[in-house]
Amino acid sequence: MIQPILQLESVTRDFSDGRTIRRVLYKTDMSIFPGEFTIIAGPSGSGKTTLLTIMGLILKPTEGEISIQNERVTHLPENRLATVRQQKYGFVFQQAELLPALNVIENVVVASGIQGQKVSAGLRKKAAELLDGFGMGDCLSMTTQQLSGGQKQRVAIARALINAPALLLCDEPTSALDSESSTIVLDALKQLSKDTTRGLIMVTHDPRVFPYADRLIKIENGSIVYDSRSQGAQEA
Amino acid sequence: MRSRVAFKILLHDRSTTAGALIGVIAIVFLVGQQISVLFGLFTYMSVLVDHGGADIWICSKNTDNINGAGYIPERYVDRVSGLAEVAWAEPLLFGGASLVTRDGKNEAVQVVGLRNPRGAAGPWRFYEGGQDGLLEFEGVTIERLDAKLYGSPQVGDSIEIGNVHVRVSAITQSVKGFAGRLVFTNMVKAHEIIKSPPGRCKAVLVKLNDGVNLQAALERVRSVLPGAEVLSAAELSRMTRIYYVKNTGMGGSFGLSTLIGALVGIIIITLTMYTGVLQRQKDFAVLRALGARKLDIFIIVLAQSLMIGIVGVFIGFLLLAGFLSGTLDSPLPSYLPLWIAPVLAGTTLAMCVLGSLLAMRKAISVEPASVFR
Ligand SMILES: Nc1ncnc2c1ncn2[C@@H]1O[C@H](COP(=O)(O)OP(=O)(O)O)[C@@H](O)[C@H]1O
Ligand SMILES: [Mg+2]
Repeated sequence: MIQPILQLESVTRDFSDGRTIRRVLYKTDMSIFPGEFTIIAGPSGSGKTTLLTIMGLILKPTEGEISIQNERVTHLPENRLATVRQQKYGFVFQQAELLPALNVIENVVVASGIQGQKVSAGLRKKAAELLDGFGMGDCLSMTTQQLSGGQKQRVAIARALINAPALLLCDEPTSALDSESSTIVLDALKQLSKDTTRGLIMVTHDPRVFPYADRLIKIENGSIVYDSRSQGAQEA
Repeated sequence: MRSRVAFKILLHDRSTTAGALIGVIAIVFLVGQQISVLFGLFTYMSVLVDHGGADIWICSKNTDNINGAGYIPERYVDRVSGLAEVAWAEPLLFGGASLVTRDGKNEAVQVVGLRNPRGAAGPWRFYEGGQDGLLEFEGVTIERLDAKLYGSPQVGDSIEIGNVHVRVSAITQSVKGFAGRLVFTNMVKAHEIIKSPPGRCKAVLVKLNDGVNLQAALERVRSVLPGAEVLSAAELSRMTRIYYVKNTGMGGSFGLSTLIGALVGIIIITLTMYTGVLQRQKDFAVLRALGARKLDIFIIVLAQSLMIGIVGVFIGFLLLAGFLSGTLDSPLPSYLPLWIAPVLAGTTLAMCVLGSLLAMRKAISVEPASVFR
């Protein structure tokens, strides 16, 4: 039996606007498994980003526990969480969010050196290979301003992979792209999801990407309303 | 990689970087320039004492600045020259007089009378002629930087000071005093010009023999001349400077303009560094999401402020060097003691970091979650 790579147990999240407290994520239990493309879908405002940032150790849950590779991380201090993020996570955002001050390859290796680590020649080589794998081999020393949206997002994916993360979290990575670029990015993610050492979660509101999913989870108003995994289990 | 990120952001955000650099340069240049003028004036204040070549100065009782010394008997010279510790003793006379310029105006000057042939406390730098000029009975020196004011008399020209006709026998270079424009002559001519009481002088300069203990010698001279103020040259120099700083309000005025220079610099640095961080908030949030700790963000901004500080200090010192060499041998007093340079550089760097505090606070408070919104 495959071990889950990430587990949420009774996780909730409330936001307060000063006067009222509003529950944005209702009690959620979820296990994410490596080697499959997990898509979390739901309308805008349904709590997808909230759930994803909790999974990404960026947002603290109000209640509940988070474990990565069977290790509880919920109550780690902030700087330890940052280190876990650097070592075990890769993030791809809605916009590529590259640093305009850095060139393409520096934008990739920065994820590896941001805690003060030296950037070795080996690491640069690895970054170059990753970029090459996404068809960006000729752009290593370009500035980010010279890239198209789709190219930027591919650099962002290379950046997310440079530390060989156990989890790759993507928050609507194609919503800012044209359909052609979207297809390139989605195909790349699909390819990456086959790696059995890595869990891949993508959040989206776009039903057109559902066919890419190995596992589809639907969220509405802060609650999981559908999970193809348990659905499949029930049907069986 | 952190310092590389810091550096690349500075390169990328050129206008903010330039702004912060200007802040640093402002501190180094404005403060350095004020300090150099202050020290320039300091050297003017006690110029006679500092260049007198004596170890001990004998003045009238309770003298607290050399330019305010009263008259003492010239025979003090003989009282001390006999002492075993003493190599030589020479009288010095100085006082105000007015010099008649070419076009008939009067200019106040400070006439200094030296005893020949030693000429102790004589001019220390000449533009034309030399100490020998003061051996002439009617010879006086004038300062090159003041010559224009007098109508540009040349060596050999006759001029009138204090109703006495004298002749320019040498021209000094950058020999400037605080109490007035310096004109050197021999003791006898000085008496005549200043109209000082006969047999009196303003100070007696004492040079000690090699190896003599200064404190012991001071005690010895004091016991011989209980009615006089006996001071080491260093002490008299210091007292003179303190006297002027205290009594002219100069200390306060220089302190204020130095403070304003520093403040203007810090404000520029604070504002530009802060706007720099505001511009880069999203980048810092991304870095935080990718695994940067608050410490790492802090180090990036600290590195930026140090880079700006070091480059700014370097440029500031270049400008300052330009200012100093430009004012060298000009009427503007400027002198920067060497030890000031590292102190100024260090304080400027500290102020640069201080100016970045607000920016650092902003930068480390950036939430990684904000990337997702
Ligand atoms: N920092 C926050 N403070 C207050 N409310 C928030 C915050 N972040 C998200 N929300 C609210 O939580 C709900 C879910 O937001 P989000 O998870 O971003 O949804 P989605 O990503 O599905 O569009 C929304 O109603 C949103 O207004
Ligand atoms: Mg969202």
